[in-house]
Amino acid sequence: MRSRPSVLIMLLMVAALVLSACAPSAAPSVAPAADSAAAPAAGDGPIELRIAWWGSQNRHDRTIAVIEQFEQLYPNIDVVFEFAGWADYWTLMSTQAAGGNLPDVMQQDYARLEEWVSRGLLAPLDDYVADGTFDFSNVSESSLAGGRLGGKLYGVNLGTNSMMIVIDADKLAEAGMEIPNPDWTFSEFEQVATELHEKLGIYGFSGALSNEQLWKNVYLSLGQWVYSEDGTALGYEDDQPFIDYLNMVKRLQDAGVTQTREQELATGGGSVETDLIVTGRSAMTFLWSNQIVALANAAGEGRNFILLPMPRPEGGASANYLKPSMFFSITSQARHPKEAAMFIDFFTNNIEANETLMAERGVPISSEVRTALEPMLDVSQKQMFDYIASIESSVSPIPPPDVAGHADVINNVYWPLAIDPFLFGQISVEEAMRIFRAEANAVLAETAR
Amino acid sequence: MSTATTTTAERAAVHTSAHSLWRNKAVRTVFYHLMVAGFGIVMLYPILWLFASSFKGRAEIWTNVSSLIPQQFTLENYVNGWRGFGGISFTTFYANSFIYAGIGTLLAVLASALVAYGFARIQFSGRRFWFACMLATLMLPVQVQIIPQYIVFSQLGWINTFYPLLLPRIGGQAFFIFMIMQFIRGIPRDLDEAAEMDGCGRGGIFFRIILPQITPALITAAIFSFYWTWEDFLTPLIYLNAPRLYTVSLALRAFADPSGTTDWGAIFAMSSLSLAPVFAIFVFFQRFLVEGISTTGLKG
Amino acid sequence: MSEALSAPAQAPSASHKGRPVRRRKASFRHDNLMGYLFISPWLIAFFAFTFIPIIASFLLAFTNYDVLNPSWGWVGLQNFERMFTRDPRYIKALQATFFYAFMAIPLRLIFALAIAMLLNTNRRMVSGYRAAYYAPSIVGGSVAIAVMWREIFGRDGLVNAILGADIAWLGNPNTAIWTLIILAVWQFGSPMLIFLAGLKQIPREFYEAAAIDGANGWQQFWRITLPLLTPIIFFNLVMQLISGFMVFTQAFIITGGAPLDTTLFYALYLYQRAFVSLQMGYASAMAWVLLAIIAIMTALVFRSSSYWVFYGSQEE
Repeated sequence: MRSRPSVLIMLLMVAALVLSACAPSAAPSVAPAADSAAAPAAGDGPIELRIAWWGSQNRHDRTIAVIEQFEQLYPNIDVVFEFAGWADYWTLMSTQAAGGNLPDVMQQDYARLEEWVSRGLLAPLDDYVADGTFDFSNVSESSLAGGRLGGKLYGVNLGTNSMMIVIDADKLAEAGMEIPNPDWTFSEFEQVATELHEKLGIYGFSGALSNEQLWKNVYLSLGQWVYSEDGTALGYEDDQPFIDYLNMVKRLQDAGVTQTREQELATGGGSVETDLIVTGRSAMTFLWSNQIVALANAAGEGRNFILLPMPRPEGGASANYLKPSMFFSITSQARHPKEAAMFIDFFTNNIEANETLMAERGVPISSEVRTALEPMLDVSQKQMFDYIASIESSVSPIPPPDVAGHADVINNVYWPLAIDPFLFGQISVEEAMRIFRAEANAVLAETAR
Repeated sequence: MSTATTTTAERAAVHTSAHSLWRNKAVRTVFYHLMVAGFGIVMLYPILWLFASSFKGRAEIWTNVSSLIPQQFTLENYVNGWRGFGGISFTTFYANSFIYAGIGTLLAVLASALVAYGFARIQFSGRRFWFACMLATLMLPVQVQIIPQYIVFSQLGWINTFYPLLLPRIGGQAFFIFMIMQFIRGIPRDLDEAAEMDGCGRGGIFFRIILPQITPALITAAIFSFYWTWEDFLTPLIYLNAPRLYTVSLALRAFADPSGTTDWGAIFAMSSLSLAPVFAIFVFFQRFLVEGISTTGLKG
Repeated sequence: MSEALSAPAQAPSASHKGRPVRRRKASFRHDNLMGYLFISPWLIAFFAFTFIPIIASFLLAFTNYDVLNPSWGWVGLQNFERMFTRDPRYIKALQATFFYAFMAIPLRLIFALAIAMLLNTNRRMVSGYRAAYYAPSIVGGSVAIAVMWREIFGRDGLVNAILGADIAWLGNPNTAIWTLIILAVWQFGSPMLIFLAGLKQIPREFYEAAAIDGANGWQQFWRITLPLLTPIIFFNLVMQLISGFMVFTQAFIITGGAPLDTTLFYALYLYQRAFVSLQMGYASAMAWVLLAIIAIMTALVFRSSSYWVFYGSQEE
């Protein structure tokens, strides 16, 4: 009495399972059929090109407008696109990569390029350079270099960026101080920041000086690099330069010249708009050059900013380099790599397209485009162009892209085990660097394996 | 702080339940309203801040941050925000969100009620096991399920459709199933038995006895389900890749870029606006919570 | 794990002690057909949509799968070993999560119950009050709330203004997690609403009868309200426990785990490992350990339930 119904139920269950299992296996056979019907027609029929990027409303608007221009020029290409905010974008792209479903063109980041190339997810673009799909005749090699890995081009730079110190010109004048020398050292920087603080009673500098970008800058300026060539270990032997730097940061924090790490964490939303320089509570900050536009927007009318290169260690070379703000790459899962290359070329070289984009991703790499945009720039955009032009000849050569274990080193070692414990006064700077070296090397060795 | 509210709560309990008229009723009423309204304003402060910020102009949004009153009242943020991205406006995003949250809620609540009845009132082999499995599905972080699930759904060719969002709802949702179960188990069995003697089958008992009794639970489930679906951005992010399919919560997240220009005004405006449907659903449905059991009992 | 799976089943069984006696009545009869019929929607959805991802994540826990790389290998128990022996952040994540769970869950429940009692009345304006108290819970985890919370607990924010202090609430290792706990308590709307629905389900006649017997409000609360509400308290406790241990969004959008990993909640760390460090295998292993932890905690609550949860359906 009790067992019979349950056997029946089990049978029903199995049937239900089989049925539900059948549905999945039946459906995909339909989908590819539809695809294969479309594929042969690709030669003359409409081609569907997929493009993905991250950004904010401004970038989405401009990019979509350029896509429409591209579609007008090539009526047989139908561009479908997807966009998201920064964090969501990488979640989405990782998922699509795992599902073998990446778009044809994806926006890439210098910090992630190696990670994606080493997994064979991006296609080299050299063939399309050779066959003339890409026209780089107005592009200097230094602008392209960032996209090269192992001698092959994996990404086309969408705009040139460099780090900079932004000084509130009016605060500087108010303190009766001179504009510092563009090749200033850390000790000069410390002096300027301290003086601003003491004279004005505000922060001399906003904060975030312990950011890993500054760690990179220190060694770049000394002609070294933070990672070894093969990416299996740290690339420098001497911790002292960075120890000196961190000691300076701590001095500035303790003296109230910059926010303490604690205050930094409480203020920053990771957004340019929340920087203390916006409200005039700080006289200096550091940003990427394209962020001056956002800063000027948030600060409002009637503000004046001076842009200076990053300070360097005593006796070092320039701590700046020209970084590709982001790339367009063609994925190895792309269905239409040729059309993808055509699109990227259009994005790079077409004047009308760039008049729409208005250097939102950084200073365009094509000299012809730069010249065409020059008269249309607003004040902060012009500052960005001029800043890049002014440092172009003196910058250090671009360091190699971040190694595959970089994100791991920064998130799991740099901040939690070394920098924060030091800045919160839990360990000495020497101890912090000893831990950092040991743990970072362990992570890098493991990732490379 | 919590002790203070507990005492008030107790007084309220006294008040609700006791139909005896206490001498100082007027005093108590005034005290109640002062207390509840006062604390309500504290609760609402952050939301008021959000609304205030959404009416501030570009120039003051980050320079006049803590003020609740915009120096210059502007609707610019709403206009800019609603515009959306490249011609795809929030009209589209709202339509998508209503599809997802509307159908999703309907499916989830109805299915959950059925399943809950099965678990709560019927004795069958394997019940403990399946119930434990159901609870366990709540305990595994979704982050590690995304990719396998994506692979399954993309093999089915369901990317850029609402299927991956809605079809899993046909089984109800564990949270609501368990919740409704608890409500069903609070109902005395005499009612079921009386109905059975009147010749009702399982289905009859469920529809005529149980459903009316658990109306407050169903309404509560509907309110939550709608809100949780409305604010869910992860599933739409993964499966609705075409911008014309984006939901409001997903579109909101496409405004901010830490490395570039972010129109925070538009974010505040659209965030404020996105609360409206959820709030409206709450206000509409919570009226039914006021009626209480005596009314629903009559319907049964 | 097996204990965890069987233990929650205590609750359903609790109402069915002494089955033989009740067998004559339909409502207690063993009925496989109807049972499986009613739960079939869930079973179908479970096997069609959740079963495969769950099994997959379990298997991945024993691999070094990294999302992007199609070639991955089995690593046995290495992921689990690493978690407990070679990952200092993992221990911090456990600490933060347990602290949060044991602080936020009771506070939230007490708060929710108190306010629900307060609003369980037919006074004028009560709809408006309910809306006001529920409203914070619908701002959820949007981008705006991160800014909003930073603003309130910021250095020029409301909290410092009231206290006349300059404290970096979100940056101080001692206070940061409390701001997230306060946020959780502030968003107490969902347990409150469930309590409210539970209060509504208590038949009014009970109170009327008690009043006739001369019980005062305090006695009514302890003798009627609280006992009859125990199934709902039990439900809220279990659900808050599960969601408390899986807390993610607030830390993800507001603190990112800082300062000094004091708000590095388990699910946040797991996400970082999965999607930032691209160690999905390791993250999967972490996920299954979390499941085990939550299952054990839940099982304990279920075990205890037979001592303090009273079901109307149990009364004979």
